[in-house]
Amino acid sequence: MTKIIIIEDTETIREELKTFLIRYGYEVVALTNFEDISNDTLKENPDLILLDINLPVMDGYYICREIRRKSDVPIIVVTSRDNEMDELMSMNLGADDFITKPFNTQILLARIESIMRRIHGANNRDTIAYHDLKLNLANGSVTYKENTAELTKNELKILSCLIKNQGKIVSRDDLMDFMWNADIFVDDNNLSVNVTRLRKKLDSVGMKENIETRRGLGYILP
Amino acid sequence: MKLKDYLIERLPFLLLNLVIFIIIVGMMELININRYFILLIFFIWFVPILTYISIEFIKRKTLFTEVNNILDHLDKKFLLPEIMKKPEDIEGKFLYDVLRRTNKDMHEHVKNYRDRENEYREYIETWVHEIKTPIASTRLIIENNPNNITRNINDEIKKIEEYIEQVLYYSRSNNVSKDYIIKEVSLSALVKTVIKRNSRDFISKGIKIDMESVKGTVYSDAKWLEFIVNQLIGNATKYNQKSDGRVTIYTISNENNTILTIEDNGIGIIDKDINRVFEKGFTGDNGRKYGKSTGLGLYLCKKLAEQLGLGITLTSEAGEGTKVSIIFPLGKVNLIK
Repeated sequence: MTKIIIIEDTETIREELKTFLIRYGYEVVALTNFEDISNDTLKENPDLILLDINLPVMDGYYICREIRRKSDVPIIVVTSRDNEMDELMSMNLGADDFITKPFNTQILLARIESIMRRIHGANNRDTIAYHDLKLNLANGSVTYKENTAELTKNELKILSCLIKNQGKIVSRDDLMDFMWNADIFVDDNNLSVNVTRLRKKLDSVGMKENIETRRGLGYILP
Repeated sequence: MKLKDYLIERLPFLLLNLVIFIIIVGMMELININRYFILLIFFIWFVPILTYISIEFIKRKTLFTEVNNILDHLDKKFLLPEIMKKPEDIEGKFLYDVLRRTNKDMHEHVKNYRDRENEYREYIETWVHEIKTPIASTRLIIENNPNNITRNINDEIKKIEEYIEQVLYYSRSNNVSKDYIIKEVSLSALVKTVIKRNSRDFISKGIKIDMESVKGTVYSDAKWLEFIVNQLIGNATKYNQKSDGRVTIYTISNENNTILTIEDNGIGIIDKDINRVFEKGFTGDNGRKYGKSTGLGLYLCKKLAEQLGLGITLTSEAGEGTKVSIIFPLGKVNLIK
């Protein structure tokens, strides 16, 4: 499991971010002591660090440099300072990515995933599974037992969103939000058409537990 | 300075001399002094006076012309005392010193205001920076507790964020040059980012988006540009009540410029208002009908665009839709490529 360390001095953000990332299947440690951040962090041996710039004892830039001196662990700088100089500075000090508060959580997740993918090459996050169904995010194919079908970009997004939220109802609005965040600007009709097609494809590979429509609520993979 | 004005000023002095001269001539007449001698006295008396007056006139005329010339060519007129030569006569010296002193005082006065304005701007920037933390917390709380209520709160929070951004850009709008970084900006990436920011409005109003033909790159500041495009796309969705709402975004590349156009089929702007939409605080007919208009959005767009050296034009037909274009002139950087 990917281990993320959160270095953030605002308690609400720290705790909520922790809850949020745990919900998406990450192991999360949030530092509460800011006296010796770089050593505390490295002791935890994390896979990724979320680093705030405004910290009580030493600022994030300093921490970033300290950590970089000893380790190549990926660092995403999270800050409310919205200017290009900060971004440049973070990158120069060895941060891997930069995201400004208040951030879109889906974008944060996407950045984390893309960094993890880059670091570990084609790791297991490239395929996600639902019961016996395997969805390959890299080439956009679904495999159910022996059967394989190719998905379009839109269908891939819909299915991956439903699998990530399996057992929960995903409202049409949330689904649309998810797709828009991935640069697919679908409208309401398009979405229905895409879901129908996706159902047919899942049917064709022989999957029985298909996408269900909950009238007035949304879609669910039970 | 005209010769006539100058002479009128010297008139009392000349008249006085003339009167005294006439009295003396009268007395000389009485004691039968030779006429030639009187004529000689006239010359001895008046030639130096007239010469002196003429030289004075020329000297003043040169000084005044010089000062006027400097003033005409000076961008900041108050710098005059720093540039002009210090006059040599007492009167000139006196006025010169007075000018310097009043100027100095004025500078201090202005500096006082400038400091206050800077302080205020710094305060606004800190404030904007600080309020982002509670907003980020709120967003995370919403994210961790997904339901209809938090979804509605989220929409409102997004509006608050837009207003906060406007505050920040408004306070920065007078000196863009302080924090911009010009680099290559991909227009399609920029437009996509902005569409994503406005996704809720597009989705909830069912407005279709067509941005397939947005291509190319421009050299500008990505953040300022994003702010401008966000205002324009925000307007395109805000003033659109149609069931088949549509926003079309496209670019046209010309020989010496690139034009990004955002076109909607919304309510449009009536002819009476169209020339005033870029004015500060102007809300017009649409503002009255639909409310929630601050009259700052387009004003800021225009102002920031000007500071970035971009053109911005707007055409509209009431009931049919509005079309706004941002014109990116191709600078030397592009041409070298």
